[in-house]
Formats: sequence, structure tokens, C-alpha cells
Amino acid sequence: MLRLRGLRPLLCVAALAAGAARAADETEPMLGIWVPDAAPRALLTSGGKTPPLTAEAAKLYAERRARLAAGDTSFDPTTWCAGPGMPRILTMQYPFEIRADASRLVFIHGWYRWFRIVDLGAGTADPPLPLTMGFPVGRWEGDTLVIRTGGLIDTTVMDASGLPHSEELVLTERLKVLRDGRLEDRITIEDSESYSQPWETVLTFHRDAAARVADDVCPDRLARGEPAEQVPNPPVQSRRAQGAVQPAAAAATKPAAQAAHFAGVWEPKTFGIMVPNAPLSTAGDDIVKRNAAAMQSGKIMQTAWVSCRPGAVSTMTMPREKIVVLESADEVTILFEMPRMVRRIRMNASHPAQIEPSYVGDSIGRWDGATLVVDTLGFNGYAEIDARGQPTSAKLHTVERFTLSADGNSIDIETTVEDPEYYTKPFTVTRSWKKSPARHPFEYDCMENPRSEDFENAYYVRERYRPVCMRVEGEGMAPSKMVCGRSE
Amino acid sequence: MRMKRMLPCAAAVLFVGAAAAHHSTAEFDYTKQVTIKGVVKEVQWTNPHSYIQLLVDGDAAEKVQWSVEIGSPSLNVNMGWRKNSVKTGDMVTLNLSPARNGKPYGTLRVLTFADGRTLEGVAARVGAGPGGPPPAGPGGPRPASPATPPPSPAKEP
Repeated sequence: MLRLRGLRPLLCVAALAAGAARAADETEPMLGIWVPDAAPRALLTSGGKTPPLTAEAAKLYAERRARLAAGDTSFDPTTWCAGPGMPRILTMQYPFEIRADASRLVFIHGWYRWFRIVDLGAGTADPPLPLTMGFPVGRWEGDTLVIRTGGLIDTTVMDASGLPHSEELVLTERLKVLRDGRLEDRITIEDSESYSQPWETVLTFHRDAAARVADDVCPDRLARGEPAEQVPNPPVQSRRAQGAVQPAAAAATKPAAQAAHFAGVWEPKTFGIMVPNAPLSTAGDDIVKRNAAAMQSGKIMQTAWVSCRPGAVSTMTMPREKIVVLESADEVTILFEMPRMVRRIRMNASHPAQIEPSYVGDSIGRWDGATLVVDTLGFNGYAEIDARGQPTSAKLHTVERFTLSADGNSIDIETTVEDPEYYTKPFTVTRSWKKSPARHPFEYDCMENPRSEDFENAYYVRERYRPVCMRVEGEGMAPSKMVCGRSE
Repeated sequence: MRMKRMLPCAAAVLFVGAAAAHHSTAEFDYTKQVTIKGVVKEVQWTNPHSYIQLLVDGDAAEKVQWSVEIGSPSLNVNMGWRKNSVKTGDMVTLNLSPARNGKPYGTLRVLTFADGRTLEGVAARVGAGPGGPPPAGPGGPRPASPATPPPSPAKEP
């Protein structure tokens, strides 16, 4: 049986959480963007001491510290852009944004579009498998948000120094906005396999009007020869508020006062993987024929999403796995399980004059009666819209119309694609989503285990998709190792 | 039911490797089956694909390490697996479809424990027809033959 003993307390917490969803006013002080005060490389207890490791965990930690001193960070999956887990992601020098609706509070982290969805409803945590970010369940105690998280995989580390944990790990966070305006996260760590007793650490965060949660794509940074985690300078503070980057002031608004239209968990009704009859231009047709020829010769096609890039348009034409929708008066936020992605649809706004191109583009929304109309510009041209690798360019412009069914149980999303670079005229793709019984999506850590076998005989639709790090298995008893460096 | 939902997509699913899984074509030869027996060295319960590393007695004194893809966490859970259904040190027999490159590498059809219990891998249903098309998604099946342009778009159920 799967060992999830650490999750048992969650059931109790979840029961207590019944009726815990708070009015918007009580959530509001926490909403918006927060920047780490310290982003410690090595966590200490709130008393400034080394955590009370068990003997075995202390030995493992010492080995990792020695490797770190030698420049080897391969004990930390973030090295190759895999998921950081908890509380590792809170120790990174990246801002995060808190958004919420009546039943969920979401952390949108600035590192490689990870997010945490905290269930504030009356559900129980019943995870069938551990996840990188676990299964957070929250409740309010006065002005303090208490989040208990279990169901965490054990291949992540607690911090950049390699502080270990097991799957027994349960985190209890007590989040509170302090009188000086900072956000305090007081975290109790329980993990009897790794620690001789529960211990507490404290992380604090501050507001910064210049801070942005960027459209961060870790494998692109690796491809540029940059480290997976940029230390110590927050990479997002210097960026302009363009494109997918969200201004702090606009983000920290109240949850929607209006009735929710699309809020909740949805899953694809169908898996449409082909976009037939797209009016390809000569240039577009050439690319599709080239892709087909490569596959006919037995090559394995590597597209944007296969290469762990997000893609707003491809997810609409090739829906996969669940989405979670949050609605606020100023924004409709869509969290995608696969590829992991956060789409921010700013309501009743305009596109900026200059848009920094991105995989998700700049989306603005308006209500046309009961239909949500989303206009998106500013794509970076790295998206294929179907299984044949039908291309897109930076000229791509999409208009999506989200229409709820009369019974409220499904959404039709009609996406009109306009891209004069590769298509002779606009065309429309319609996909349907249905209400999911799940309270929590799974997660998809695309970069978790890039096995070298998957890249043998590969055909890269775009050179950018070529991997930097891959796991190479040893022969016989030899262990596997992660090898980083662009292959040719 | 998840599987039921997939049924009408059988034709397209054969091509799903190109779109929804992390490999598209011809990596494995689904027309062949190989059976190996050995000791589990490691289970990689990971995205985009999960693997069993199996140590098998070879011709020489040294063990041969096989890499056998089993699916992906979410897919295998839907097929009845749990993370430690298979553990390091277990003696198991793996029936698999081998890689075309001749290396000790394959995709799992059926795992059999020493006590006779079995678990199906992602390749078990490839080519099974309407009664058992494989699910789409991460770790999804690889097509039975080198990819050709898909025969038809995905059908609505």
C-alpha cells in the first residue's frame, strides 16, 4: 500500500475546514504579490538552530552538503527544472502571488509557473498518489490562515542545501499579515523519519510595487546557459509590466462579487488532438510536410508541449487533463494541470502597447452576456496546435469564447485562430469541458525525469526544444546520473 | 469512467504518442514480445514516464540492467497501481515490447510477481482494439507502427 500516513491528520483538518471559506474581506490582506525577505539557502529553526535531524537523515544531509561544496547540486531536482516541492519553493528568490475565490486560495509562484491550490472547502484530502506540491488543505483561525500539507513526494529537498525529508512529511503553515505589512509563514515540520521531533521555521515576505510574477519557463533558461534558479537577484523585479506579467496593484483586488460563471474544476470532455482542415499557407504546409516526413522516417517528434513548454493556444486545441478556474472582478485565472500553466485573463482591460512575447500571450476578457470573450496577443510563436505540429508564429491572435451550458455542467470553448504567417484565413476550433468531480487536480511535473531514451532518434520541430539535461542509466549495478549539456 | 470516455478515440489514440505522450513513433516494436525475469533495482515513479530498472542474469557474470517503461504516475494509478506496488528487491517477470534499437529497453505489457499476481503496463492494451484502447495522457502508449499522418481526427464520443 502506498505510504501516506502523514496524510491522516489532513482528514481531521478537512473536517474542521467545513464552512471555513471566508468572505472576501478577510482574505483580502493576503491577496497580491509577495517577495521573499531572505530566501534562505539553508533553513534553520525559528530559534536559529540546525533542524533536529535523525542520525540517518543527518548523514544524508552531510553528504549533500559535501556535494554542494563541490558544486554538485544534483540532489536538488530544480537543477534540471523539475519540481521544487515544499517548502523548497518558498525558499527561492522569486515572488509569488496569492489569489482566491470562495473555495480556493492559490499561490502562483514565480518559478516555472508552479502553483499550489489550497482547498478551503469542506472536502477531504484523499490523494491516491503523492505529489510534488502535495495536497494543501486550509482553514482560517481568526486572521491566520492555517494550511496543512501532506502527500508530498520524497525526491525533493527542503531547501537549496539539501535538507532532506521523507514522504511522511506534513507541513502546517500559519500565514498571517503582520502589523508592519509583511506576510509571515510560520511552518511546523513533522517528519518522524527525518527529524527526531517536530520543528518550526519562519519565512517572511514583503510587498514591492515593482515585483512581478513573470511568465517563467525554466527549460528556456537552461537552454540559454543560465542556471535553473537565479540566485540571488530576483529575476522578475526588473521586468516591465508587459504581456503576461501582472502588476501587483491590479492583482490584489477582491474576489468577484458577481456570481461565478466558470469557477471550479473542469476536465476535457474529449481529447481532440487534431485540427483538421486548417487553412495552411504555403509556409505552414511546408512545415507540416517536413514534420510528417520526419515521423515517417521513424523519428520521434518533439514539440513545445512535449518539451515541457506551456502553450495557451495548444491547450485550447488539444485539451488535456484538468483546469481550475478562479474568478475575480478583475481577472479570470485558469490553472492548467497539463501542461502546467497559469493563464491570467485581465477583465475589462486593454492590451499594453508593447507586449513581451510569451507562451501564454497577453489575455484580456470581457463578458458578452453570459459568454466570456478572451482576446490574446503577444504569443512568442513557439506552439504547435495539433499532433501534426501545425505551427504558430508571433503574429498569432486568438479569440476564445467560453460558453456555459444551460445546466452549468459543461463549457464550450470556441477558439478562433488567426495567424497570417501560417494560415490563409482565420479558423475556429471548439472543445468542450465538463465539470470534474475532483476537488484537486493532479500535477504534471514534465521535467521530473528526462530519460535519455526519450531523446534518441528525436526530431525537434524547433531547435529550442532540444533538452539540456537528461538522465542516463548506468550499466549493470551502476547508478543513473543526470547529464546536463546541449546535445547535437 | 475514464476508460469508457476514451473508447471512441481509439483511432486517434494510436497517434496520441505524438501529441499527448512524450514520444511519438517507432521507439518500441509492439509486434514483438520479450519476457525477462530479474530483481528490481529501482522504480522511477516519475513524469513524464515511470520506469522499472530490472537486473537480469546475462551471458556474462555481470547482470544486465533493463529499463522498462511502465506508464506514468497518474496513468498507472488509474490502472490500479500504487507508488510502491513494486519495490526495490522484488523478483518479478516482465513481459514487454522491446525497443527497436536492440538495447535492453522496452515498454511493459504485464508484470508478474513471484506469487502469480499481475499488473498491466501501459503497452498491455496497445492494439487491443475497441475493447481496450490505451488511455491518453502522459506516459500514454506509443503507436504500434512508425507514425504516419493520423488516420482521422479525434471523434467526439
